[in-house]
Amino acid sequence: MTVATTDGTTIIGESILISGSLNGDEDLTVRGRVEGTLTLTKTLVVEPTGIVKAEVQVKNCVIAGVVVGNVTATESVEITKEGRMVGDIAAPRVIIVDGASFRGRIDMGEVDVESGAAPRRAAAAPARPAFRPAARPAAKPEAKKAEEKAAATAPKVPAPPAPVAMGAVKRKVIVKRR
Amino acid sequence: MAATSGIIGRGTVVRGNLSGSGDVVVEGRLEGTVALEDRLTVESGGKVIADVQLENLIVHGEMGGDVVAAERVVISSTAKVVGDIKAPRVVIEDGARFSGSIEMDVKLPEGI
Amino acid sequence: MAAMEKVSTPRSGAHTVIGSSIVIDGEISGDEDLVIQGTVKGKIDLKESLYVESSGVIEADIETANVEVSGQVTGNIAASDKVELKADCKVVGDIRAPRILIADGAVFKGNVDMDVKEAKGK
Repeated sequence: MTVATTDGTTIIGESILISGSLNGDEDLTVRGRVEGTLTLTKTLVVEPTGIVKAEVQVKNCVIAGVVVGNVTATESVEITKEGRMVGDIAAPRVIIVDGASFRGRIDMGEVDVESGAAPRRAAAAPARPAFRPAARPAAKPEAKKAEEKAAATAPKVPAPPAPVAMGAVKRKVIVKRR
Repeated sequence: MAATSGIIGRGTVVRGNLSGSGDVVVEGRLEGTVALEDRLTVESGGKVIADVQLENLIVHGEMGGDVVAAERVVISSTAKVVGDIKAPRVVIEDGARFSGSIEMDVKLPEGI
Repeated sequence: MAAMEKVSTPRSGAHTVIGSSIVIDGEISGDEDLVIQGTVKGKIDLKESLYVESSGVIEADIETANVEVSGQVTGNIAASDKVELKADCKVVGDIRAPRILIADGAVFKGNVDMDVKEAKGK
């Protein structure tokens, strides 16, 4: 951070404690402690000595200190190597540097990974239990029959995946029971 | 670095339980569950829809599922990940898309 | 990434500056100088000096060692050392301090208590 004040950057010094609601239209650097709510239209920087225990709403946030509370940023949130945060983050860009500590949820908006977070639903997929290379369409009907047989005669499919294509069990290539 | 013991190539789809030691690289598609002693790398065209348990995970492609890693998870700038992650170290690079929760060990100062 | 160097302090040795667009509704306490260019409602409790600059608006009771007001204060001020009201400031409230300076042009309404019992050998 460069020289403060002359351009209206606010700095909360190390020994300062602010408890209540803080609103502003400028950058804010916290080296002390802020508790309550913090709303800025610009950038919040929590330095290594800084502790923010608040609901935070900002444009950008750089966390090198401690933040306990939820952070909503319209642009980005970055947790640096010295940063520690417990709370949820909602921002389009989130950067967590190696060495940072974080516990909470991250919401970047719509993240589309096909079949999302429910891998077990994959059963319905038009199962071509194509294993290694040889994935030939001809194998399909056979595989299906084999699947049924396997399912019937091989109740040795314990917990792990749900009704996912058990045809794989037959192949026995790299699948190992734990 | 463990030797690469498995590569799931680009046109390949694997469904089932994957376990073992050595590094595994996924360029194709893997569905089911994964339990590895070493590292799983999901390359940028790769997709893993599985709950995974391993030492290290690096995602450049897509991943849907919960992750428990003993060492570190890296979600790179081209990655899209949905799921809950529990690991001592997690890295999210600029540009990554992630939705879910992250649980690292966070040491807070007293009185928080 | 933000550089984490200690910033060499901007105004009169103060490390904490509340900029002009900042509004704080709550309590501020601390062991260092504080410069206020914005708005504070609530309570201020410092062990060092408080500088209320001309854009500063304070609606709070203040307790510090030193206060220098160039802006607006509505509230009681208690200082262990000195209170200085500069020209063009506007203060409404009671002031209690061993030393008080009120400049020509300052606007003040309230009681003044110089706490004589602490005066040295008078």
